[in-house]
Amino acid sequence: MNSGAADSTIARLTPTQFGLVSASVLAAVLPHLWRLPLPLSTLILTLLLGRWAQRQYRGARIPYWVKLPLVLLFPILVIVHYGNIFGREPGSALACAMLVMKLVETETRRDARACICFASFVLMSALLFDSGLGFALLLFAALILFLAAMRELEPRPADAPVRAWRDSLRDDLRGGAFALVVALPLALCVFVFFPRLGSPLWGAPTDNSARTGLGDRMAPGTIQELLIDDSPAFRVSFDGVPPPRTNLYWRGPVLWHFDGTAWTRPEYFASTNAAGNLQALGAPLGYDVTLEPSDRRWLLALDMPLDAPDNAVRGADMSLVSRAPVDHLLRYHATSSPRYLLDATLDRQQRRLALQLPALFNPRARELALRWRNELHSDDAIIKSAFDLFHTEFSYTLNAPLLGRDSVDDFLFGTKRGFCEHFSSTFTFLMRAAGIPARVVTGYQGGYFNRAGNYLVVRQSDAHAWAEVWLQGRGWVRVDPTSAVSPQRVELGARAAAGASAPWYQADWLLGLRNQFDLVNRAWNDVVVQFNSLRQQSLLTPFGIDKADYSDLVTVLIGSSTLLLGLFAWWTLRAPRTTLDPLDAAYARLCRKLGRAGATRAAVEGPRSFAERITATPLRNAAIADLLDQYIGLRYACALPSVTAVRTFARRVGALRVQPAVRRSR
Amino acid sequence: MTTPHLSSVAAESPLDPALAGALTRAQSQVNNVVLGKSPQVRLAFACFLAGGHLLIEDLPGVGKTTLAHALAATLDLSFQRVQFTSDLLPSDIIGVSIYERERNQFTFHPGPLFAQLVLADEINRATPKTQSALLEAMQEQQVTVDGVTHALPAPFFVVATQNPLDLAGTYPLPDSQLDRFMLRIGLDYPDRDAERALLAATDRRELISQLQPCLTTAQIDRIRAAVAGVLASSALIDYVQGLLAASRTHADIRVGLSPRAGLALLSAARACALLAGRGYCQPEDVQTVFIGTAAHRLIPSGSSNLTRDQLAAALLAQVAVR
Repeated sequence: MNSGAADSTIARLTPTQFGLVSASVLAAVLPHLWRLPLPLSTLILTLLLGRWAQRQYRGARIPYWVKLPLVLLFPILVIVHYGNIFGREPGSALACAMLVMKLVETETRRDARACICFASFVLMSALLFDSGLGFALLLFAALILFLAAMRELEPRPADAPVRAWRDSLRDDLRGGAFALVVALPLALCVFVFFPRLGSPLWGAPTDNSARTGLGDRMAPGTIQELLIDDSPAFRVSFDGVPPPRTNLYWRGPVLWHFDGTAWTRPEYFASTNAAGNLQALGAPLGYDVTLEPSDRRWLLALDMPLDAPDNAVRGADMSLVSRAPVDHLLRYHATSSPRYLLDATLDRQQRRLALQLPALFNPRARELALRWRNELHSDDAIIKSAFDLFHTEFSYTLNAPLLGRDSVDDFLFGTKRGFCEHFSSTFTFLMRAAGIPARVVTGYQGGYFNRAGNYLVVRQSDAHAWAEVWLQGRGWVRVDPTSAVSPQRVELGARAAAGASAPWYQADWLLGLRNQFDLVNRAWNDVVVQFNSLRQQSLLTPFGIDKADYSDLVTVLIGSSTLLLGLFAWWTLRAPRTTLDPLDAAYARLCRKLGRAGATRAAVEGPRSFAERITATPLRNAAIADLLDQYIGLRYACALPSVTAVRTFARRVGALRVQPAVRRSR
Repeated sequence: MTTPHLSSVAAESPLDPALAGALTRAQSQVNNVVLGKSPQVRLAFACFLAGGHLLIEDLPGVGKTTLAHALAATLDLSFQRVQFTSDLLPSDIIGVSIYERERNQFTFHPGPLFAQLVLADEINRATPKTQSALLEAMQEQQVTVDGVTHALPAPFFVVATQNPLDLAGTYPLPDSQLDRFMLRIGLDYPDRDAERALLAATDRRELISQLQPCLTTAQIDRIRAAVAGVLASSALIDYVQGLLAASRTHADIRVGLSPRAGLALLSAARACALLAGRGYCQPEDVQTVFIGTAAHRLIPSGSSNLTRDQLAAALLAQVAVR
């Protein structure tokens, strides 16, 4: 990138140009920064700002002995942190670093252009991590900045007047936005017709961080984290009438194993393919689920799913597990039966698992359960006494106090305050201690039904945990101990049940707004993010292309973009329009308004004759006559109309409301 | 409702009320004599005030002479009438130098041209030589006889008439000389009511002899100065230019309008605006005088079967107004 000394002085970047290029680089790097390891992001940001300041105030070239070690340092940092330089995380980290290095060596226009092109690539790579609507809009804003920088880099004629940087920046941004808008049709065309790969490009290796949603482990605090997260977990549109809210139990991981602190799913279910014995008792209910990427393998379904979607299996405990982690928006159709009989008989292995309890934990709870077992004679009575206990003495709160080693004992006999996590865990413990097979089910409960879009959005904050007990002759029965304490949790949602403890950003009106905005987000997901080869094909079928292969698509793509570019060329090269001056424009507008009302001005008609003609029609009124007078005054009675007078006139024309002439048929 | 920002522009009427009143009176006085011809009278006034000369082209007996007489009497101009014939010589209209024995020198005896309003009746009957003597005098506002230049009186206003039908033994004015007339008007037959009034009333000649002058020469000078000061905005000049350009590209016109025609058009439009009491021109002023100023200057192409008036009207119907 080293050009001769003379050349570089000719094409040396002005402070405005370099500032814009730096801003573009910053905009490209920003979406990545928070994801990068701290040392790397700090180094990148420091280098970027330092280079900008250095160039702004000193302007000397950076010598190679500074650049070279930096270029070597970055890949080393990336490898140290990620282990390699391939994959989307280390790749984007390296790209960010190299982009800043490009800025460090940027001296000439040519460098600057290359820098902006590279910045566009880095910016686009951020789409691998987030393809939401909000992010896409931010991306467009950044693109406007890039185009503005490109415009600023255009050589200007030597005799062009020197402009203040504010003015040129405003012009550049306006021009950049215009260029972006003009390019939209072409972008749309490429978006629709570009051949789609069968699987997304970014089904690339990922790391373990940044996981959201339910895990296969419930320890104190895991659900609490979710309850403050308002991002959508998934959206559902029902084939028929949505079931009542109290039936909306979205089944996620089923947890069997308790080690005293955490509930986990035993390896047994990961390894066996044994399907449960499920009997549907009512009409099945079909629905489409659009699952936000979670990087986990759980799929959510209503109790009880009748089958598994493609590329997923249904475990013996009726939880759905995808074959691959959900790393992009996933859409599937599921069918459930709200009334069911699950596992009329329980095999020995499952019974053993469902009665497992850690030894030497929670002696008082065990004691209580044994007392119940001795005093009461039926399982139902035991469940009822547990419910009664929760109902009379316990309260629901999201701010539960911390529990000690014997968490169940502490909760039962100490704090007595908590939420679904505590209640389901304690309840299941008690049941097992009393000899009733039981398990914890995690998932989501409820959701917000968006009437405008006729779909249900379930957020992370709808996360819930409940219990299932196995009863002779009735199989697994869902029991939600939280509802014994706080029926509102099931009827209204976690936050409503917790009362006034919601922080400001979860105020009701804000949530309402967010729920409405979710409609837009869903449309974006539907139309843009979910646009795959299947949808592309369905778009082409009406045009007689039944089975489009890549070459067909490429033909259509080339054809349509040629057409669009041809239209652009025609539009650009057509005879130059004479630009109307503001007064002419306002007068033309006035004439259009009058024309719509029935008084059309002939092109050769002078304004005075026009005014006189209107006076003879039912359209006459003082305002119109006055406006025409004003026009004549501005256009013909003064050598050069004042700008303010023309503006006033234009405003009055804009405000004029013309009643169409009443035409009476005689 | 008056608009505040118009106060800075040219005043509504650049003439003081007395002068404006006198001008209006003068027009109505002529209109009382030449009945039912107010547009033509208006054009005649415009032509006079803009400093041009007038060509009236029409049949005999429709009031060409009466109009000239009435103008002279109303404007208090000295009046001479020259009946052009084929044997009329230049010296007959300009005047001759005659040797005076007592003073032993030639003395110039001014001809009928030395009047403020000269009515050149049936100008196309005179030989080109005489015609060009008249037209040269019109252009130069002076005549030169035997090396001595004599200025013509000011204001100097020629009203020429010609009969478009009876062309036998005439010398039609060449196009270059028609150009010297700022305006050409036709009078046409009066409408029914005007003709009846004409027939019922007293003799026109008697009426003319009773006319009172309405404007003095000094006043006329002031009005003429005001005409020159009438504002023609750039939009109006655009319009005039548009008309000129259209005349040069029109398929049926062989020779379009000259820059002099443009100047004449603008001057006449200015005068027309002043007659309407305005200090600025508007497109309608140009439209009012356009056929009068342009038609006789247009030369139709050989294939065209449109008259000059129709061609001028076609131009008006073609050029857009802002």
